[in-house]
Amino acid sequence: MKSKSKLIIVCIAGCIATLITTSALAKPTGPVMRLFPTTVLEDIRETSEVAEEMENNIQDVITRLDLQQQLFNESQCAGADEDPGCERIAKQLGATYLEMLNIMTTRLPDMERAVTNTRNSLEKRLRVELGQKSTPTSLQNILLGSVSKITAEDDPIVLRGRSGIRLSDRFKQYYKLVATRQNGANQSLAVIASDIYLDMDEASRLIAATQEEISRATLMEQLNQSFGQITPEMTEVVNGVKSILFGEAPGETPIASAPLLADETPFVSPLEI
Amino acid sequence: MTFNNLQKPLKAVSLAIIVLATSVLLAACTTTQTAYTCSVSLKSSLASSIRAVESKLSNGCEYSFDNYFAQLLDVAANNPDPDNKRQFSDFLVRVSDQGVISKRQAKSTYNRYFNVKFVSLTGDYNTCSQTCPVRSRVLAEMQSELLDKELGLVRASEDNTSYYRADLLLKEAQLVLEATCRACEAGNL
Repeated sequence: MKSKSKLIIVCIAGCIATLITTSALAKPTGPVMRLFPTTVLEDIRETSEVAEEMENNIQDVITRLDLQQQLFNESQCAGADEDPGCERIAKQLGATYLEMLNIMTTRLPDMERAVTNTRNSLEKRLRVELGQKSTPTSLQNILLGSVSKITAEDDPIVLRGRSGIRLSDRFKQYYKLVATRQNGANQSLAVIASDIYLDMDEASRLIAATQEEISRATLMEQLNQSFGQITPEMTEVVNGVKSILFGEAPGETPIASAPLLADETPFVSPLEI
Repeated sequence: MTFNNLQKPLKAVSLAIIVLATSVLLAACTTTQTAYTCSVSLKSSLASSIRAVESKLSNGCEYSFDNYFAQLLDVAANNPDPDNKRQFSDFLVRVSDQGVISKRQAKSTYNRYFNVKFVSLTGDYNTCSQTCPVRSRVLAEMQSELLDKELGLVRASEDNTSYYRADLLLKEAQLVLEATCRACEAGNL
C-alpha cells in the first residue's frame, strides 16, 4: 500500500516537474497582436476577387473609351458640332461611356460591400490592439521591433502611396504580405494593417463619391446622347473609375524599406528606455 | 571732555567703517569671482571636457548643467567618434548619481540625443486616450527630437544606422498613429 502511494506521489511530482520545465522552455512570445484574424484575411481575399471581377468586366470598355477619346481628339472634333463624322464619334463615345456606367452601377455595390467589410474589420482590430491594448511606449517598441528585425533579404513592406497597381493586385499583395508574415515578426503587421486600413478608408470614400456621381452622370449622358456631346464630367468620371481600379500615376516612394544593418554590436546604455 | 579726548572714539568708529566697507567690497568681488569660475570654455577632447565640466558641477555650478551639456555636444560634434555615446552615458550616470540632475532627467537627456527610441512618444496610458487627442503635437515633438538625434547620433557618434532607424520609426509612427487614431475616433462615434 505504502509503495503504491509513493509511486503516485512520484508520478505527480514528475508531472509537475515536466509541466514546469515545459513552460520554462517555451518561447517567450510576449503579448500576441491579433491584427489579422482569419475573418480579416477572408475579407481581404474576397475584396481581391470582387475587384478582379470588376476589372475584367470594365477593362475592355475603358480601353474602347480611351481609343474613341483619342480618335475624337486627333480628328480635332472639339467644337466641330456640325461635322457629321465628329457627331458619330461623339455618339459612340457617349454610348461606350453609358456602358461603363452600367457596369459600374451593377458591380460597385459588391465592391463597396467588400471594401467596407475589410475596412470595418481592420478598424476594430486596430482600435483594440493598437489603440486600447497598447501604450505609446509599447507601440514604439512594436514598431522598433519591426524596424530592427527586417533584414535586407526580406520582402520590402509595401506601404501607402504606391500606385499604378490594379486594385485586385493590391489586395493580392496585401493578402500575401499578411499571410506570409503571420507567423513571423508580428511587429511589422502593425504597419501593414495601418496601411491597408487607410487605403480601404480612402477607397471606400472614392467608391461612395463615384456611386453618387454615376446616377447623375447616367441621366446627363442619356440626355446628351441625342446631341452627341462630350462633357468634362464624362472625363472626370472615367478618370475616377481608372484611379480606383487601375491606380494613379506612379510617384511616391514606399515609406518603409529594409534598414541598413550595423556591422558591430552597438553600445547599450543603462539609461536606454 | 576735551577735543583730544573725543578724537580717539571717532578714530575707532572711522576705522570700523573703513573695515566694513572693505569687507563689503571684497564680498562683492568674491561673488563676481564665483560667477566667473562657473563659466567654462570647452575646446579640447570630449573626455577632458567632461572632466572639466564634472569638476565645475561638483563645485557649486549645478545650475549651469544645461549650458555645459550643450557645450559638450558641440565638442563631440567637432570630434565625432562612436565612443562618444558611451562617454555621454557614463557622464550622465555619474552626474545623476551625484544628484546634479535626477535619474529621470538623465534618462530623458540620453535617449533624446543618443537612442533610436523617442522620448516624445512615451506614456503608460493607452494610445487612444493618451496620444490620439494630442497626436499632431506629439508628432511635432518627435520631429524636433529627430533633429537632436541627428546631432547626437550622426554628428557626435557617427552612428548613421541608428539615425536611419529613428527616421524610419518616426515615419512608421506617423502612419500607424494616423490609422489607429482614426480607428479610435470611429469607435467613439
